[in-house]
Amino acid sequence: MENRLRVLRAERRWSQADLAERLGVSRQTVNAIETGKYDPSLPLAFSIARLFEMKIEEVFTPS
Amino acid sequence: MAVSSQSLFTPRDAQNHRNFTIWMMGAVLSFITATLLIDGGWVPRAAGWALTAVSAILMVMAMRSYIGFIRHADELLRKIHLEALAFAFGAGIVAMMTYRLCERLGAPKLDVNDAALVMLLCWIGGQWLGARRYAGEEE
Repeated sequence: MENRLRVLRAERRWSQADLAERLGVSRQTVNAIETGKYDPSLPLAFSIARLFEMKIEEVFTPS
Repeated sequence: MAVSSQSLFTPRDAQNHRNFTIWMMGAVLSFITATLLIDGGWVPRAAGWALTAVSAILMVMAMRSYIGFIRHADELLRKIHLEALAFAFGAGIVAMMTYRLCERLGAPKLDVNDAALVMLLCWIGGQWLGARRYAGEEE
């Protein structure tokens, strides 16, 4: 699965740690999602989409 | 690549992991103390049973706190720990089964504790490998 997390985060000038804190996950989790090493669970994917005020498919797309 | 537990643990994970470590250390200390006292014949039989019970209770508490740690862990951390457990379980079974054949070919007899040691080491190694696999520089 591909995602726009890094771009969306950069637009808001958030560090990975900032985003992780907002989502209640570890910094490593944010990094692993951004680099495509890890696909988030559905609840976390929804939390990410909600945080950026977007639809889930606007953040995540099947590769 | 360096693996930092700080970036892998949320504050809640760190707290839960600390709890698990405390229970685990208590269980290990209790087990060692009970073994030495019972083996040395320094305690009466009834006290030996009491020490065994204390040791078992502490081990159960450590197990409970580890299950709690995994249940509430950050999802990547949970994945790393579950993969490490699968690796440890699989490696333990492989080591046990393979060594049974080796024993038939003349290798020295081992007991069940040796398989447990393989599992323990693979569990620790699996966590390290998992943390490395998903590690990344901070941005």
